[in-house]
Amino acid sequence: MRRFALVFSWMFVAMSFGSVATGAEVAPSATPSVDTLVKTLNPDIFALDANQRPVHAITNVFTSPASDIARDVASNNWYNLAIYLPFLILPQLVLLFAIYRFRDRKDGRKPATFTGNHTLEIVWTAIPCLALLAVVVPAWKLLWKMELPPAGIERAVVVEVRGKEFAWDYKYQADNLSIGQDVAGIQEPLVLEKDRPAILNMTSNDVNHAWWVPSFGVKKDVIIGRYTNVWFTPDTLGVFKGQCAELCGQGHGIMWISSVVVDSEMFKTYRELLRHRNDTVKIWNLLAPAAVADDKELESQVAKYLEKGRGAGRVLALKYWIATNYASIARRHQPDLTSAQVLERGVARRAQLDAVLARSLSAN
Amino acid sequence: MSAPAVMPPIKRYTGVMDWLTTVDHKKIGLMYFWFVLIMGLVGGALAGMIRIQLATPGAVWDAVQAAQLAGEQLPFNLYSEDRHFFNQIVTMHASVMIFFVIIPGLIAFANYIVPLMIGARDMAFPKMNAFGFWLLIPSAILMMTSFWVQGGAAATGWTAYPPLSLKGAGINPGQDMWIMGVHLAGLSSILAAINFIVTITNMRAPGMGWMKMPLFVWATFFTSIIQLLATPVLAAAVTMVLMDRNFGTTFCDAMKGGDPVLYQHIFWTYSHPAVYIMVLPAFGAISHIIAAFSHKKTFGYLGMVVAIGSITALGFVVWAHHMFTVGMPTGLQAYFMYATLLIGVPTGIKVFSWIATMWGGTLRFTAPMLCGIGFVSLFTIGGFGGLILAMVPTDQSLHDTYFVVGHFHMVLVGGSVLALFGMTYYWWPKMTGRMLSETTSKWVFWLMFWGTMITFMTMHLTGAAGMARRVPVYYADFKILNHITTFGYALTALSSLILFVQLLLSYRRPKITEDDPWKINDVQQSFEWATSSPPPVYNFATVPPIPVADQH
Ligand SMILES: [Cu+2]
Ligand SMILES: [Cu+2]
Repeated sequence: MRRFALVFSWMFVAMSFGSVATGAEVAPSATPSVDTLVKTLNPDIFALDANQRPVHAITNVFTSPASDIARDVASNNWYNLAIYLPFLILPQLVLLFAIYRFRDRKDGRKPATFTGNHTLEIVWTAIPCLALLAVVVPAWKLLWKMELPPAGIERAVVVEVRGKEFAWDYKYQADNLSIGQDVAGIQEPLVLEKDRPAILNMTSNDVNHAWWVPSFGVKKDVIIGRYTNVWFTPDTLGVFKGQCAELCGQGHGIMWISSVVVDSEMFKTYRELLRHRNDTVKIWNLLAPAAVADDKELESQVAKYLEKGRGAGRVLALKYWIATNYASIARRHQPDLTSAQVLERGVARRAQLDAVLARSLSAN
Repeated sequence: MSAPAVMPPIKRYTGVMDWLTTVDHKKIGLMYFWFVLIMGLVGGALAGMIRIQLATPGAVWDAVQAAQLAGEQLPFNLYSEDRHFFNQIVTMHASVMIFFVIIPGLIAFANYIVPLMIGARDMAFPKMNAFGFWLLIPSAILMMTSFWVQGGAAATGWTAYPPLSLKGAGINPGQDMWIMGVHLAGLSSILAAINFIVTITNMRAPGMGWMKMPLFVWATFFTSIIQLLATPVLAAAVTMVLMDRNFGTTFCDAMKGGDPVLYQHIFWTYSHPAVYIMVLPAFGAISHIIAAFSHKKTFGYLGMVVAIGSITALGFVVWAHHMFTVGMPTGLQAYFMYATLLIGVPTGIKVFSWIATMWGGTLRFTAPMLCGIGFVSLFTIGGFGGLILAMVPTDQSLHDTYFVVGHFHMVLVGGSVLALFGMTYYWWPKMTGRMLSETTSKWVFWLMFWGTMITFMTMHLTGAAGMARRVPVYYADFKILNHITTFGYALTALSSLILFVQLLLSYRRPKITEDDPWKINDVQQSFEWATSSPPPVYNFATVPPIPVADQH
């Protein structure tokens, strides 16, 4: 249905200035369970097809803008179309009329002999010039708005984006937290906060790429040897899909982009989760599907993990990353395990971890 | 009185040797024409491979991968080797269509028709003319054979942006072969351009002042100026890549102080004007076709000339609208947006004038006329996409999506290719002395018209919906639109095949005897209908009076 909506809005409803947001809503929850958290913050790994392609619907700037910039771009575009359309439709109608009216009916009618009309020629030169002014002025204004730093820049989420063949690395500059590819090599989404400006400073490790999430209304080349930037304020909760938009070699077509917009509460939780991520690696090595999950060793590693802190956030992070890793691994073709077997093993090992955690936490 | 100097006998060949050694602009024009037809089929086949791959979100690879997982040996695995092959096809489709179909296609007609139109007996430099054509052969061989070298053909798109195009230096010669091919094709263009400029400036029949020149001659003249000025810039750009790859320079290597964006600026300094190389001659020819079959003189001759001239001039100063996402200074983006929009004004003048030419005429809907009207209609749609893309804020969403692909194909296929079809139908009787079947020709037109419409209108929507270009796989959301596009492609392919066969078979049709088979010369302002079909080697026994004395 959305496809038809798009077609129609393009062909007929060019004058509709307001646009509807359709990003999949993600309901925030006060005390989310681990699985809800994974589904909220990393929805891609539950929605990949057999070739690791995300199946989430991709939204676009014209029918589902999801940032301040995108809304401006969309309404500016409808405005432009409203001015342009007569210049498309009228000549076609006149052409059709001329085809009908002046066809040779073999009735001996003599063709006209005029070869020019200065008034007419001046008019059809002048009117397009005026129309151009009418479109170019608002576009200039919007262009400057897009280029100048956003309002509320002091509370912006600043992210360093690195394109590389054929994935993206992100780093939240405020606290040096990195995301990139998960344990199975699947691209992780860029998590952003609703109604908080995001500033992306982008560069490339190798060839040119372009960072593009249609619904955010921004696209910028990512070029080695220089930084380019975009900024926008996401204003809709949900998952937004994109794609590298500059030919970068073999894997260009599968250089997906995904961005999750969450509320400020969830964003805070996410940063907390990220903070403890590196510490969970050793425990994951014990629990991974191929590993032998030895209770003794697990207990000692969990104890070590808790030495650094045993707050609720840190415990949640451990559970979260193990759950995420399992969900992700299940998506990749494993040498001797089917996806269902991985998930089954995941349930068992997560229960094992929960038991160990409960024991360790109650021990003191 | 000394004895008159004895001229050494001129060796004349017949058969194949005649074609290989000819310097007659008409024969060279026909060789260009057949070269273009064959390369057109090659480029069309490459497009077909793209469309088969894209018909579904990734079906071909999915099938190949499944077969490989199941341990099956595939008889031929064009797609499975790696996704690079798709990029090679994309690159070569564009390169073939631009350098070996559209540009030389328009040169083919200019070669044949321009000397006739101005009442000249040949081009100013007949041997250079032949040399220009023969350069295209090694150029095409270099590009096409690169599929079989190590690493395959160039896979960086026809834009060959570094740093991507710097990869595989010294190992994979495909990119280098592509660059050498571009050099040869570019040299061919430059030689043709010089030849046209000199011919048109110096060899017009007595009495044919500048402002009495047929519009196709004007269009060829301006096109030649663009070719002469812009093609060396393309040569410079690809030479930077060639030197970086092979001789240790670092023009484009950011890690060694070069700048990949510099290449983009230089590249588009050629390649934007190049789009006018690919369409201005069509503008000229369409004016003739529409006037001829409306049985009227062209409306607003002076406006038409000025419009072509200002498109030529503006074409040189708008290149960076292809680069709105590289992060240019805001002021520059604003300038390039405005300059680009300005091109819409002269283009609009041309469209309005074509319609005004039809106004009050007695329209005969012959195959060339249908192509002419189809051109006006589709070109307007294509140009409309250009107006949308010119807006920087919108372009930052549409850049490098299928919207762009749809836009320039609408202009190049609905515009240039349809015009080439029209020119073929219009001038084929003159060029070969044989009329084509109107019924078949109309089938070709309607298939092409609807094929273009379906294929490229749909691409606009696909792009607006968010599908990036040059991708071999895509989000499942775009499946239906891509199905439709591939269906449209089948129509255009069918149309082209029918045209090809039709032209081959036309040599078996009876010869015509009239000079002016369309009966249009009372409204045409050129000489080509005042000599036999096909014209004799020397074109005109005596220069006839200019058919239409007053253009204004
Ligand atoms: Cu890419
Ligand atoms: Cu351009």
